[in-house]
This record gives sequence, structure tokens and C-alpha cells, in this order.
Amino acid sequence: MKKYILVSYFFATSLVAFSQKKIEYLEYDLANGIHVILHQETSTPIVAVSVLYHVGSKNENTNKTGFAHFFEHLLFEGSENIDRGEYSKIVEKNGGELNANTSQDRTYYYELLPSNKLELGLWLESERMLHAKVDIKGIETQRSVVKEEKRQRVDNQPYGSFFTEMFKRVFTTHPYNWAPIGSMEHLDAAEEADYINFYKDFYVPSNSTLSIAGDIDIEQTKKWIQTYFGSIPKGQALNVYRDFIALSDANFEKTYSISKSKFDALNFMNSKDPEAKKLLAAYAAKPIEIKRTQKDKTVLTSITKEVIYDNIQLPAIFMGYKFPEQLNTDSYAIEMLNEVLSGGSSSRINKTIVEKKEMATFAFSFYYGLEDAGIGIFAAIASKDVNLDSIQREFDLQIDLIKSELISDEEFNKARNKFENNLVSSNSSIAGIAENLADNHVYYGNANRVNSLLDNYMKVTKEDIKRVANKYLTQDARVILHYLPKEK
Amino acid sequence: MKKILFSALLISYSFIQAQVDRSIMPKPTEAKKINISESQVFTTVNGITVILSENHKLPRVAFQFIIGSDPRIEGDKAGLSDFMGSLIMSGTEKRTKDQLDNEIDFIGANLNASNSIVNLSCLTKHLDKGLELMNDIMQNANFPQSEFERVKKQLQSNLLSTKSDAGSMAKNAVSKLNFPKHPYGEIMTESTLNNITREDIIASYKNNFKPNGGYLVVVGDINRIELEDLITKYLLAWRTNGPIFTNPANDGVFPTGNRVVFIKKPGAVQSVVSITYPVKIRTGEQDQLPLKVLNGIFGGGGFGTRLMQNLREDKAYTYGCYSSLRITEFGSWMSAGGNFRNAVTDSAITEILKEFQTIKTDLVKDEELNLTKSSMAGDFARSLESPETVAEFAYSIIKNKLEKDHFQTYLQRLDAISKEDVLAMSQKYFTSTNCNIVVVGNEEIIESLKKFDSDGKIEFLDPFAEEVKDIKPATISKDELIDKYLFAVSLTSNKKELAKKVKKVKSYERVIEMTSPQIPIPLKMTEYFVSPTTEAQKMEGQGMFFQKSYYDGSTGFKFDMQSGKKDMTSDELASKKKSSGLFPEINYKTNGINYELTGIENDNGNDYYVLKLIDGENVSYDYYNTTTYLKEKSISIQKVGEETNESTTTYNDYKNVSGILFPHSLTISVGPMNLIGKVSKMELNGKIDLKSLKE
Repeated sequence: MKKYILVSYFFATSLVAFSQKKIEYLEYDLANGIHVILHQETSTPIVAVSVLYHVGSKNENTNKTGFAHFFEHLLFEGSENIDRGEYSKIVEKNGGELNANTSQDRTYYYELLPSNKLELGLWLESERMLHAKVDIKGIETQRSVVKEEKRQRVDNQPYGSFFTEMFKRVFTTHPYNWAPIGSMEHLDAAEEADYINFYKDFYVPSNSTLSIAGDIDIEQTKKWIQTYFGSIPKGQALNVYRDFIALSDANFEKTYSISKSKFDALNFMNSKDPEAKKLLAAYAAKPIEIKRTQKDKTVLTSITKEVIYDNIQLPAIFMGYKFPEQLNTDSYAIEMLNEVLSGGSSSRINKTIVEKKEMATFAFSFYYGLEDAGIGIFAAIASKDVNLDSIQREFDLQIDLIKSELISDEEFNKARNKFENNLVSSNSSIAGIAENLADNHVYYGNANRVNSLLDNYMKVTKEDIKRVANKYLTQDARVILHYLPKEK
Repeated sequence: MKKILFSALLISYSFIQAQVDRSIMPKPTEAKKINISESQVFTTVNGITVILSENHKLPRVAFQFIIGSDPRIEGDKAGLSDFMGSLIMSGTEKRTKDQLDNEIDFIGANLNASNSIVNLSCLTKHLDKGLELMNDIMQNANFPQSEFERVKKQLQSNLLSTKSDAGSMAKNAVSKLNFPKHPYGEIMTESTLNNITREDIIASYKNNFKPNGGYLVVVGDINRIELEDLITKYLLAWRTNGPIFTNPANDGVFPTGNRVVFIKKPGAVQSVVSITYPVKIRTGEQDQLPLKVLNGIFGGGGFGTRLMQNLREDKAYTYGCYSSLRITEFGSWMSAGGNFRNAVTDSAITEILKEFQTIKTDLVKDEELNLTKSSMAGDFARSLESPETVAEFAYSIIKNKLEKDHFQTYLQRLDAISKEDVLAMSQKYFTSTNCNIVVVGNEEIIESLKKFDSDGKIEFLDPFAEEVKDIKPATISKDELIDKYLFAVSLTSNKKELAKKVKKVKSYERVIEMTSPQIPIPLKMTEYFVSPTTEAQKMEGQGMFFQKSYYDGSTGFKFDMQSGKKDMTSDELASKKKSSGLFPEINYKTNGINYELTGIENDNGNDYYVLKLIDGENVSYDYYNTTTYLKEKSISIQKVGEETNESTTTYNDYKNVSGILFPHSLTISVGPMNLIGKVSKMELNGKIDLKSLKE
């Protein structure tokens, strides 16, 4: 629940998995649509249990922003079988650790447990998926907690709003327009029905990936998965069950034209009554259609310049470009491009802007690739008394240079070596492996991409890097933000 | 047939599913034994203790060198070793910074260094090159002047950013309050940064980076023989260089009563709160583990802690409320707090203090104790996933002189801790009444914090934990103050008597014997005054004159060893004219001095009227004791070219000399220089040879 909504997610994707040592895993689908991935690694007796729900802030309505992230908080409140506030305590009590994060594209929950408590982890996550329980006090508490989180991470953080301000202007038509933290007014205005609908629409088996890595016995694990996740009703039958719990007799009957009494409360899916059976079968056959967003095909057409006043001492500049989505084959060349510009002390931006010209205390660029689109950001915090326009001119010089001339062989090999090192290191923990496998399955439809990632980078040529620089670093179409100190 | 079988299977499957009773939490299966693999430890001929933890899972290796010396007190050069650390990778005798950066990046390695640690991690195939670079930094760093200037500017900018970062401000205050006169309590400020020279940096590097007493911790895809070869190749030529520095223990300073310290952050929407005090315990002591358990229950654990449950889950005052207990070999401290929105900052402090009190009074619940113990056991087990942990254990055993099986027995010792043990720890180490309560936030909440301070007086610090003077309005006027001062020193009670007494003083000669920790020889300063406006001054030591000055009411000169003798400029003469005389204060009004009474300031427990004098770009502040009206301190800020020089003079030990009070003990501090003076001669109306003074 300590969420690193934006930043950690960015780091996670920029270091996506690869290892020279092949990562072995197996994957399959449960009848209700849950995708399962298992990776065995027995050297330490621990296990990572994770569930990725393919829902993020981009699935929110324009008048309900911040919902996906808020919902993540609510799903720690408890379930039909777990009392309010107990969820995280159970994990801690069992020597585990848990957390979750929400990005524009996904919500990710995980537990790290001693491996002899795998079954507990599966129970916990399946409870969350089947019948999470949220009461009014929980909603009110988490609403305040989220507001504090925003104050701490955004409002009270120097330059903390730059992500929000940038996305707002680079994505004018796509739901990437708003940040996962969303609008506090929207959260205030939310009603109970909104939560129920969000749960019914997105927290369903067919929208989830269960990824487990660590010291596991594969066969035993499969059995437990069948027990705890296989028993979650398929299709709309799950929501009939959730309504059975949530609605009054009268409302249930109004909705389904059948009395609640026909169902077996303790063994709902196996209710004996023929009418109930028939209804459940019918609803199980009805799939839940997940409302997906479209790729953002729009481009920026002009320069947007804006001044933002913040509680800061040193001015800063942020320049944003529309970059392609992470699935785009150009993304590998873009990451290599970024490595040359901003990876390590010897990178061009650091050498010129920070060290040689001493214009900034801190300067960097990065590529943030998302499912429907991407963004490239150049940022610098000015040195004392340095004008932001002069920093921009220097950035522009560097951009012109990399667009007009091929990078040197040395820079090229350096970038390749760097990626090799990063990829080896990124699969050093079971938590990282579980997440990487899940991400690659969901975004690329191919968990095995973790094993072929280095090839993708090694295929990039110097010409590719120059080409993508010219294609995406559009100097006449970008967003430029100047952060200036607020007048006291 | 097949079809039938298939559906029979389905039925049996759903039958199995029906069996699961979700209301029962699954039980754990049998726990696996935790193994801590052994590290290999050996010492090189030049005194490096090497710790090797092999792990061949991934083709990479990590090297870490840790210096053997303890942190030092840096005083008015606070931040020196940090500055050295930021510069250490700025070039070597063999490589410029650009070459160094390039070569490190080229092999895709991570190589970083601070004032006491150098870290390298890279793929095994690049290890030889990586180690060559690491070694070059440890032995040959050369701190080029240009990089010194560049990094200095960067540090200046960083200091500026501190002023907008509430977290850093709180951290500074916590360190300074708990550990004054301790390396932990030293904060780099603009002025300490300016005191640091490149020579200081080089000396600091040479004093700290030596092989003897250092530790080399090696983890990963390498075996003992390969490691020994690399050590021989790169590290054995590194020569020992004097003993390592050890710093005596210092437990910090405990506040008497609760002390509220406020740092203003204009526009803040949240306050950063840290309730903190030093804790008397060192790494490896018996109490460490039960105390850690106590802290885990209190606020150091996850979501189930008292602080988190109360302040986040129950009250929703914050996104997170934690306590942290840092136990080190040099000093330890507790700090509890978080970020709280303005309106609930005081309520949050109330709740945290309440939690401190409650946990001291009652036994903790079994449930809490078990939760924390299990969670610590889990943390321990999870930490073993990283091969670095095993090496860290080995390092800690050697460095902190722990039992050989300290970590092997960790889980057993943890398991044995009882509720009574925990209560004993809170009673011994926790307090709700002797805390520094640090708040960084918006001014609007100050009033609401007064109730927490034992004496009701909130102290104000700047972002670097320097005191901000709290000024109260004065109850008398500036001219009344001057009169009261003059009556006090002249032991008179009205202007008539004062004038009469002043008139009687034809001359004086005062000799002050001075010593300074920064100057090896004793100094003698002699001051002369001849009525009405002639004055002269000379400073000598071991037969040499360092400084002289002379002024006779219309002309004058100054002499010092660097610049020789120079006539006073017209500006200097003009300002001298305004301030000459036995008591220049008498003529402030008539001479058109620009002066104002700024208010009452507290300094070291005494209240002073502060009189501000403005003379062009130069400003000075005179401090008059509010009870005795004697002048006890004067701060003068002079602009010399682009720079400002601040000097502070204190006057004490006033004695009656022929009916007038003169101070007999003085201190003068100018920048890093401190002079302590005692008056050895104070003679009124003696004979003074003006002629010799004019030379």
C-alpha cells in the first residue's frame, strides 16, 4: 500500500527483465480466465505471490479520476472472511511483506512470504478477488489517507507536480491526461455504487494474472491455485454472487427475478435449487467485457509553453514529447537513444549541461512507455542564477546533434554493455521475476519476452537511434514547462 | 465413454472445490530450515580484512571497500568529508574525470564512492577492468581544482534546495539537536562550505583512504583463488599510511523536558514532524534485539504498528507514521513522526506522545509481540535472498566484535523475547517527556505547538539547524537605552554627572593579552585614547607588529603586515569621525548616526536590547544587557569588496577603574579565528607619547 505510483513504475519498466540465465516458468489459464504463471527458485525459502489486474487510471471515467488507485487502497480493507484492518496484519504476522501499486495501465498486488505460507498467500489474494469487503468507515479513512499521500508525494514535494502537469498537456484526448493519483474532488464525490461497479467491471478473473515465483512445489501449488482461484465463479456469475452478498433480498430479487433463498449461502456456486443452478449457468456463460482504451494515435502539433509556480528555490525546466507506446518496436531504439543522452555520468546531457557548462545541478531525460502511448521527458534543475532558456538551448543543441549525426562506436558499445548489465541484474529477486513475467504476459502477450529482451536491444543499430531521434524529438511540437519559485 | 468420463471428472472437481472453507485461514506447512552460508575471511599484508561470500547464481560480482577510520568532528568545516566524497570520482593521477566516467560506463558497471565507502558491481567478465578503476579511485584520486570549483557550486545549489525540502530540514535539526559536538550533528552550511579548501579535501582523502584497518567485502561470481589473484594485482601495492582514526564514544545530548523546535517552511500544506532523542545503546549490545522488537511494535514495523494503526488507520492524519531507531557504533537515536496536514499537526503530536507513554506503562499484547517477532523473523529470512546480506553479517561480526554465531542464533534469540522484556526496554529507553519535537511547516500552526514545550518557548531553527533569533519588542526607546548604558558604565545617574566624569578622562591606555587556538604565539593589543578624539591601536607578538592604526580627529592611517601602511580613505575617516570619543554613544544623535533599537533578543539565556547601527553598507549590532544595561556583545558585519566579514566581540568582567566601568575580559571572533583576551593594564590619565604612535 506504500505506492510508488509513478516513479517506481517508471523504473520497473525501464529495466524490464532479462537474464543470461534463462528464466524457466510455466503458464496456463484457469477455466474462469485467470492466467497463471509459475516460476520455481529454491535457493531461499521464500515465495512471491502476485496478482496483476489489467486496470489503471486510463480506465477511469473523466469525472471519476483517481479511482483505480483509490480502489487499490480499499482492497486492503478486508473481505467476507477477513476483518477490517486484518489483511496486512495477517501478512506481517506471518513474517511476510505486502504492497501494491497503481499505474496508468495496471494495478499490482503482491505478498512476499516464507515459502511454507504459500497457501496463505493464495487464500489472501483469492479473497481479494472474490469478495472484498469495504465499509463506510474504510472508505472515509482511505479517502483521507489518499489525500495525505497526494500532499506528501505531489503537493509538498518540490517539482512534485511535474508529471501531472506534463501528462495533462501531452495527452489532451487520451485518459493519460490525468495522473493515477487523480482528483480529490472526484474522490469526494464518489458514491457507493461507483465502488461496486468498479469492482464488478475490472476485478474479475478474466482481467487478472496470478504470478508466483520462489521456493514452490509446482504440483502442490497448482492444486492450491485450483482450490482458491479455480473456485471463483466464471463470467457474470461472479457478480451474481457479489450481489447475493451485497444486495437486500428485495433488491436481489428485483435484479435477477429470483429469491435469494433459492441459493445455498455456504456453497453458492453449487446451489442445489434447479432455478438457481440455471441462472448461475446462464450468467457464467456471459463473459465480462472489459472496456479497453484505444491507442493514442494523435500527435502534438505545436509548442505549448507554461510557467508553473511552486514552493521551490531553484527553477527547473521540463520538456515533454509524444513518444510511442511500449509495444512499438521503436521502443528499444528509443531506450538506447536515452542511454546515450542520459545514462550514467559519461552521458551527453550530464557531461555538457551539468559538468562542462554547469547550467544545472541535475539534468536527465527518460522515456516512459505505456500501453497506449509513451512520453519522452527532458528535465533539468537549474544551477543558481542560470536562466531556463539557456538550458533549453543546450538541450536543443544536444537534440539537434543526435538527430544529425550518428553516435560514435564507443557510445554505441557502451549502451549495449549497459543494457546487458542491467538486464542481468534486473532478475536477481523472485519479486522482480514474478512482476516481470506478469508484465510481459499482460502487455506483450508473451511472458517469454523476459528471455529474449537482450536480443531486441542488440538488434538496434546506430542508424535506428538516429532515426527514432528524428522521428520523435519534434522540436516544433512539444510541451515546455518552466518551474519558478512562488513569490513568498 | 470418453465424454462421460470427462464430465465425471468435472463433477469431482467441483466437489473438491465445495470442500474449501474460506472462513478458515490456511495453516503453514512445515517451515524450511534457514541456512546462512559461511563467508571466508582473511587479511592482506597491508592490513585489509577481506570478506568473501561466493554466489554463482548470476554472472556478476560486487566489491565494497569500507575505510577503517571513524567519522571526525569538522567544526567550521562541517561537510568536509562529504565534499571529499562528492569529489573522489573527479579524476585520478591516471585518468581525467571524463575518462573515468567513460570507462566505467563502457563496461556497464556501477561504480560509486563516498567519503568512506567505494562500491563496484559489474558482470564477471568485466571484473578485471572494474577493479582497476576502483583501485585507481581509492589510491590516486587527485581532486582537480576545476572540479573542486564545480562541485562546490553544485553543493551551494544543493544547500539552496535544502531550503525547499522539509524532509532535509527536519533531518538536519534531528541530527544537530541529538548530537551537538558529535560528527553526526555537523551540518554543512554555506559558511562551512566556504571554509573548505582543496588542500583540506586532499588531506581528508589521505587521512581516510588507507588500506590498513579497511574492509573489502566481495560478493558474487568469484572464488577465493581468483579473488586473491586480483587482490595481488591491484591492492597489495597500496601502502599503509599511519594508524586509523578512532573517535571516542559520545551518546549525544538529552533534552531536559520537551523542547519544541520549529523550522518555517512558507506555503507548506503539511508539516514534517519528528519526535526525537538520543538513545544510550551501541551496536551489538544485549538490549539491541529486544529494543528493536519494541520499536517494531511501536512504529518501526509495517501497517500493524501502534503509530500506523492510530494515526493512519484510525485517525487518517497521515499517509504514514513511523518510528525509527538507529543504533550505531558511534551513537544511537530514536525518531518518530511523519507528514501531517497543517490542521492536525498538533493532534498528531499529542497522539504520538501518548503512544510513547502508553507503551511505557502497560505490557504489550501477545498479538502485537507475535506480530512483530514474526515479521522480524520474516524480514530476516527474506534478507537472505540477497547474497550481500551474508557478507554484511560477516562484516558486522568483525567490525562490531559480535559473537561468531550472532546471526545463526538470531531467530532463537528473537523467539525468546517476552512481553516483560519489551516493557523493560520501553521503561529504560523510551520517553514522552524528554523529547526534541521537531516540526517543519507553515507558520500558521506555531501557536498550536506551544502547549508541547516544557517552558512554553518554541525555538526556531533555520533549514540548517542554526538558531533563528527570536526578537521581542523593546519597552524603552533607543535614546533611553543609550542613556541608561552611559549612566551604568560611568556609575552616574544623570547627564550632568556623566558630562563631568567624561570631561575628567584625558587619556587611557589599555593592554590586552590575547591567545588564540589558531595562532601559536601570544598576542598583545594596546589601545590608546587621548581626549577628545585621538585614538591609536597596535597589535604585536614576538617582537613584531601585526597591525597598527592611528586617528587624530581629522586624519589617520592603518597598517597591517600584508598591505603595509595606508592612509585612511575619506569614507573611513568619515565613519571614524562619527564613532570616536571615550563613549561614542554620547554623540550618536548629534553625529547623525543611523541607529535603531530592534528589540530584545535572548542569547545564551540572557535578554539583551539590540541596537542596530547602519553605516553605509556596514552594519553592526550592539547587545546591551536588559538588567545591567552594560554592553556585552557587538557583532559587526562589514562589506569588503564582494565579501562580507562578520566579527563578534564580547565584553565581560566589567571593573571599576577610577570611577568608570571597563570590561576586563574580551573575546573576538572573525570567521574561523577566535581570540581570547584579558586586560592586563587599564590606566587612566597617564602620559601617552603621541609622537611614537604616529609612526
